Formats: sequence, structure tokens, C-alpha cells
Amino acid sequence: MDEVRMVRDGYAEPVPPTPEELARKVAGVKALLAEPPRRAVPRPAPRLWWGLGGAVAAGAAAAVAVTLVGGNPAAPGDPSGPLTLDGKAAVLAAAEKAERQPAGLYWHADQIQGQAYVLRPRTGAYAIIGAHGESFGWWGVESGMGEAYYARDLPARPVSARDAESWRAAGSPSSFRVWSGDAFHTYTAKATAWRSEGAEAGVRPGGGGKFLGDMSAEDLQKLPTDPAALAERFLSRAETEKAAGVGPGRGGDPGGAPATAESKIMRVASLLGGAPVPPKVRAGLMRALAAQPGVQAVGRSTDPLGRRGVALAAAERTTTITGESGTAKAGQGTYRSRSVVLFDERTGALLSQQEELTVPGGPYAGMRPGFVINHQTVRSAAWSGSKPTPPAALPFG
Amino acid sequence: MTGDPPPRPAERFEEVVDAYYAEIHRYAARRLGPDAADDVASQTFLEAFRQRRRYDPERAGVRTWLYGITTKVVSRHRRAEVRALRAQARLGPGRGGEEHADRTDARVSAQGLRGELAGAIAALPRGQREVLLLVALADLGHDEVAAALGISYGTVGSRLNRARTTLRKALGGTNPMLALEEQHG
Repeated sequence: MDEVRMVRDGYAEPVPPTPEELARKVAGVKALLAEPPRRAVPRPAPRLWWGLGGAVAAGAAAAVAVTLVGGNPAAPGDPSGPLTLDGKAAVLAAAEKAERQPAGLYWHADQIQGQAYVLRPRTGAYAIIGAHGESFGWWGVESGMGEAYYARDLPARPVSARDAESWRAAGSPSSFRVWSGDAFHTYTAKATAWRSEGAEAGVRPGGGGKFLGDMSAEDLQKLPTDPAALAERFLSRAETEKAAGVGPGRGGDPGGAPATAESKIMRVASLLGGAPVPPKVRAGLMRALAAQPGVQAVGRSTDPLGRRGVALAAAERTTTITGESGTAKAGQGTYRSRSVVLFDERTGALLSQQEELTVPGGPYAGMRPGFVINHQTVRSAAWSGSKPTPPAALPFG
Repeated sequence: MTGDPPPRPAERFEEVVDAYYAEIHRYAARRLGPDAADDVASQTFLEAFRQRRRYDPERAGVRTWLYGITTKVVSRHRRAEVRALRAQARLGPGRGGEEHADRTDARVSAQGLRGELAGAIAALPRGQREVLLLVALADLGHDEVAAALGISYGTVGSRLNRARTTLRKALGGTNPMLALEEQHG
């Protein structure tokens, strides 16, 4: 007598859910996964300028060896696939909202950039945001209406309350000497005033210059709204590499391989974060990005300003810091991270593009998954009827 | 799933849900009925999602890992399960004889179990019941059960043997196979 078989046969076969029921239940589970995690996500920090009106210097994080591991599965021709439909549905719902935002005469974008550094004094490690800056730009919707770019340095600061505690234990230093890829930089806890001259700044009353390379504001108004057309135009390998300042032949396989999911995220974040593209085009770009192979919906995440949003992410990548460019032993090692872009669920606005730690190690040993390694966060970006001015208040109280 | 490598929980968790939801739901439905199955399946995947970075492919397959989590989740519903099994035991064999034990009736899941068998399973120590049901209903091998429950291979064998002995004794001289065949005939 086989009791096991007896038990197997004894339990009635439940009526299986219909395919529709099953799909609904699976969707329900995925929606649950997208709920805020129980564990508090560590309050992130910052680098990386996608820049107002063009190329920008980061002054941070040079020369690290980036290896893509298990990179982009890139099942060509099947961007929807069986996965992540529900998470993406949330992004698409946000895109619907972006579509309904009103247009105006002036577009402005206020962005915060930063790069996280981990200091390891004897009193205990803590993370700060350095290379911390804010940039404010506005553009007239038509050429001749003017444009302006402002910039200021933001104070370097401990990232989270926990970091602040360790920072106080270390004697509350007001300057931080940190290793940044291949050299030491010192960041201070002082802000500068807004400047409208110098690098990356300037006022052009009769402007209405070029956007996104060589496009006029009028050209932007005429961009297609169809996601496929936008993807073809902006998300090809050549386009994303050009936008990222990477010459051909670097950063991936030769032979016309598609652009990486990371570079597509950067590209869309750059287009949405700094350019006065009309609402329907913004919505189209979000749809295009969500449909890209290798771009996954990852539920919700939090930006450095503490705002939650629905997120798209590239697959994790592995970064190994070696001693090659002079990094001390303590900063060497391997970590994993992924590029994430967040959208406001209520308005469809771009919130932040940030590199989030997934597996701590190397320079970020001891940090928690979710730790933001660098970020480009939109403090505000909107159309308005009159010329915008940069805000006096600092973004972090 | 044929031929595809199993999805990696830490990176592509939604694929894990797609691949295994139906199976985990079925297992839970057999043990606890369809209503509780929804809860158990959701809780299983939620818990797995939280633990996804700790999943170790060296230790167990994704499916095995999920059954381990399901087992813990079911154990939170254990009282409901035992209550259902005991209720069924009280109804006795008469119910098994009802000819209209069709799909509608099968909805009651464990309640479709024959009385004595239900009672005997309910009376098993929890550890033995988990092993027995993972082998019988989830079709896990002994090594997989060991990985799922975090116990040794030897313990799986001994628990299973003890469970079988208990069931055999509880069912006495009747030939349950025959009775079950009739019930399902």
C-alpha cells in the first residue's frame, strides 16, 4: 500500500482558475509587490549632469571599470513579454497624466545633482552627498523669447539621519575629502549663490536657442507623439551614444547591437528633464521607454527629495573598482547597481534618474540596497505663463 | 518553461510570479481550499519578493525555494487546515460515497478527503505533515523537501516513514486505495 499515492489521490483536484482569473490573481500579486516596502529605503544621495543645453562636467566619478553582467536580455521584437506588464501599466497610467498637463509659454527645469561618497573614519562609516549642485534653466517656447541658465553649489551633507549621527560622532566636519574615481576632491558644507555667468550658466534675452543638440523649440513642438517613432528617433544606439558622449565602438558589442537599457533611460530622462517637449511627446517618450527590451518596471522607489514614484529600471550591472587608477584598498571591490528612472504617479512628471545600489560592496560596502549612488533629480519642471526665476530656498532644509 | 532557465528572483521577480503562481496556488488550494489559496499564494510571493536577494541558487531551485516559503505561510493557516481536516473526518466515509462528488464538490478541496484519511493527516505532527504533503502534492523529491524545509535528507526520510506508518495504522484493515478508487470512480 502506497500511502503517498493515497494522499495524492485523496486530495481532490481543485477547480483551476480560468485564464482570466489567473491573470487577475497574478496581476494582483504584482500590484502587491509594487507597494512600498516595509523596510525603510535609506534616504539616498547623488553626480552626473545631463545638463542644461548640452554637455556638462561631472567633476566626479571618473574612470571606473564597468562590466555589464547578465545585461539586457533584449528579446527583440517582444518588448511587452509576459513580465512586468502590471508594473509598466502604472508607468503608462502616469504617461496618460503627462499627456493632460497644460502647455505654456515658458518651460523651466530645476535639477539637483549629486554623488554619494562613503567616508570611513574610526568613529564609524557614513555617506555624504558631494559634487552637489543645483541648476535652473528656462526656455521660451519660441525662439526670440529668451532663455537662461543658472547654477549654484549645494552643501555637501550626510545622506540620512543615520549618516548624520555618524557624522556628528566624527566631530561634524564641514569639509569632506573624498576619493572620486582617480583623485581626491574636497567638498564643503557651504552653498554658493545662484550665478548666471560662467560655466553652464548665462542669460540670453533674445535666445530661443537649440535644444537636444540642434533642435529649436519649434522643432520640439513638432516631434511625433507615437512611441515607436520616438524610439526610432531617440533610442537607437547611435542616438543614445551620441547623447551620452560615448564615441562609436565603445560601451558594447560591435555590429549594430541595440542601445543598452541604461543609455535609453538616460536619454529619456535627459529629454524629459531638461527640454521643453510638449506634453504629448513626453507621454510618448515614457511609453516608448516602457516598451524597450531590457527596461523593467520595478514598482515604486524614492528619490533624494523623499518623493515616491513609479520606476523603470535597467538590469543590474556589476562594477568593479580596481587599484588601477590609484584607488586605495578600502575602496576597491565589486558592487552591483542599476539605473532607475522615477515618475510622479499623479502628474506623470519625471522625478529623478538615479543609480541605485542593489548589492553592496567596494566603495559602497556596508550601505544598504536601494542606496542612491548618484542622482539627477528634478526639483521642479513645468510650463508657465511668465519668465520663471530660480528659487532662493535650498532644496534640503 | 520547457528548456528555459528558471527566472532569477533577485532580478526578474515578476517572471517568478508568472512561472509559478498557478502551481503554488494549486498546492494551497488542495490543502486549504480556494479562498485561502489566494491569500497563501499572495503571501508566498510577497514573502519571496522580500527575501529575493537572499535566494541562493546553489541551495535550491526557485520552485523548491517557493515551496519552502509556502510551507511557512500555510503553517500560519495551520489551524484552519487542521479544523477543515477534522471536520471532514467527523463527516466520515458517508460523504465519500456521494455520487455527485463532481467538480463543484471538489471545490472544497481537502474536504474531498475521505474521513479517516483526513483525520489521520490532521493528527500528524506538523513536521511530518509538511514532508508528506510536499512529497505527495507538490511532487518534490526528498532532496528538494530537505532544501525547502531546511532539514537534512535523513530527516525527510524518517518523517515520511513515520507519517506513512501512522496513516497505515489509522486506516486499519480497510483497503483505502480501493475506497478512494470508488470515491473517484
